[in-house]
Amino acid sequence: MKPDGAKVVLEVQNLKKYYPISAGLLRREVGQVKAVDDISFSIPPRMTLGLVGESGCGKTTAAHTIMRGLEPTSGKVIFHHQQLGAIDLATADRDTLFQARRNMQMVFQDPQSSLNPRMTLLDIIGEPLEIYNIAKGSELVDRVAQLLKRVGLRPEYMRRFPHAFSGGQRQRIGIARALALNPQFIVADEPTSALDVSIQAQTLNLLQDLQDEFSLSYLFIAHDLSVVEHISDFVAVMYVGKIVERADTRRLYHAPKHPYTEALLSSIPRPDPAIQKKRVAIRGELPNPANPPKGCAFHPRCPYAEAICREEEPPLQEIESGHVAACHFADRLALRGVNEF
Amino acid sequence: MPPILSRISVTDMHPNLLEITDLRTHFFTEQGVVPAVDGVSLQVKRGGTLGVLGESGCGKSVTGFSILRLVRPPGEIVGGAIRYYGRETVNGEDLTALDARSEELRQLRGAEIAMIFQEPMTSLDPLFTVGNQIMEAILYHQDVSKAEAGKIAVEMLDKVRMPQPADVIKQYPHQLSGGMRQRVMIAMALSCEPQLLIADEPTTALDVTTEAQILELMRELQDELGMAIMFITHDLGVIAEMAEEVAVMYLGKVVEQSDIQSLFADPQHPYTRALMQSIPKIGQKTDGRLEAIRGMVPSPRSIPTGCPFHPRCASFIADVCNVRAPRLQETKRGHSVSCFLYEDGGGVNEA
Repeated sequence: MKPDGAKVVLEVQNLKKYYPISAGLLRREVGQVKAVDDISFSIPPRMTLGLVGESGCGKTTAAHTIMRGLEPTSGKVIFHHQQLGAIDLATADRDTLFQARRNMQMVFQDPQSSLNPRMTLLDIIGEPLEIYNIAKGSELVDRVAQLLKRVGLRPEYMRRFPHAFSGGQRQRIGIARALALNPQFIVADEPTSALDVSIQAQTLNLLQDLQDEFSLSYLFIAHDLSVVEHISDFVAVMYVGKIVERADTRRLYHAPKHPYTEALLSSIPRPDPAIQKKRVAIRGELPNPANPPKGCAFHPRCPYAEAICREEEPPLQEIESGHVAACHFADRLALRGVNEF
Repeated sequence: MPPILSRISVTDMHPNLLEITDLRTHFFTEQGVVPAVDGVSLQVKRGGTLGVLGESGCGKSVTGFSILRLVRPPGEIVGGAIRYYGRETVNGEDLTALDARSEELRQLRGAEIAMIFQEPMTSLDPLFTVGNQIMEAILYHQDVSKAEAGKIAVEMLDKVRMPQPADVIKQYPHQLSGGMRQRVMIAMALSCEPQLLIADEPTTALDVTTEAQILELMRELQDELGMAIMFITHDLGVIAEMAEEVAVMYLGKVVEQSDIQSLFADPQHPYTRALMQSIPKIGQKTDGRLEAIRGMVPSPRSIPTGCPFHPRCASFIADVCNVRAPRLQETKRGHSVSCFLYEDGGGVNEA
């Protein structure tokens, strides 16, 4: 049990990450890109929150800001550490961050570029154990062997370099490294997007098994809506830096409350030629985050937009218990779920 | 002269636009021979859509490049025929017999057979405007002035539903979004009204809402222009949406071929079945695990003996599948599969 008896592992509160836009000879600040603009959510222990959105929506920036790889502009990221209790990662000092990071790890999209090609698997997976003075020498080798076995790789391979492995195997190496310190919380940023279809299923199964075995909580970032549905307990949808809808997975997919979620669900090519789809016609493309539309950022593409949508930005409000959406008409629109197209 | 849809008399035309027979494209690398395409036979119907489905390394892209004779050394077509029944080559000229640099082939590329790729930025020249690049193909293949070519380019951009085509034509590729760049590629590919469009993962790099727009655009343009499409993808959803006929490839070979309905209603090859089971089905969330395919695609330098899928196959028959290679055989009308489970005298009655 956690010392402070927390019901959540991670609470993100009003997190913002703005980048300045500078111009002119003196590089004066003329505006801001609101890459992450006031997002809030929490993740209970052993649960998975899926974060979906199209490229440029800010989901990866959000992940890096949560891990404090990027300095947040404002907001709180409360991490309920098993030993240290609640820590606000957004303001924590170096030493506290160092301790906190032992319990939170990251798995990246491209195992090609996220593994150092000059390091052997032993170095890659053993590095965190050395940094935290957990193991060295033969103990370290034993621990790395165990980790390799756990992710389905042969321990004999630990003196090889990453280039000797396929994409799916490299992703297992990245997962083994993330597991090395026995963390509570893992951020997985598009972990299966670069993998082949037949390897994707193996990797998703592995992540689920590890979650059960090590009581992990995941923040799972992906653009593939079927993968996110499969692995997530809750899902948050991002659009131009903001969360526009958040609910448990079933309700979000079967009874969406935001027109953007409906449009996403409607756009997925379905592996069934018998389905004659009646798509929601969605116009245009993602707006430039440096210059988002006034009012609701989705209004130029929204089939239901009215005058108010062009003027006033809708607040994120609770439509039903545990189901929030940022749409002026969220409680009035009868949007279609994933099986109704 | 604006592009005019060539009205060909359909009556005496060969029903297939393209017939590939036993194509073998091998790569002679220092580490050994890679049989990237190894005995592939495919047909593309006039105006129809053939989907080619497979994972990375199965040879689907090399098949596309072989048709246009764009395979570069150390790759080489070492066997088979690619018969193309086009406007000029009504009797089905074998493209493999032509010199890759010949004038004949240059006339076919772009004008008769065009190709679009996954990442439009790598196919567009960053130093030239969009208009410049679309006009290049038009000026090469059609007898028009520069001003007329410019007009056609604007018309083509309009046709691919590009907003403000007259402005876009003056822009450079980096000024456009990924979806817009893919529209430019399509406009370029269709500017000479090809009979066959080879689309190699054209929506894989795009976001899901943009993907839906591009797929719809391709369907509309196909209806409008009557061209055939060879759609290469790894995505079961995209193939279900776009293709009429499908060939499933694994390690350089076609393992199953069928019309789209039959393939999804009654997948026969263990690889096809395993692929379909391994993907999460949207809208049908369960708490269970996915049915993963064991192992991984072997290196094309060490292709397993017998059936190339046997080390990963759930229905593996010892001393059969690892010894002999199955042949592609019709199991029912229009549905062929290459697997001993369905072969007469294969020693099993499981099918």
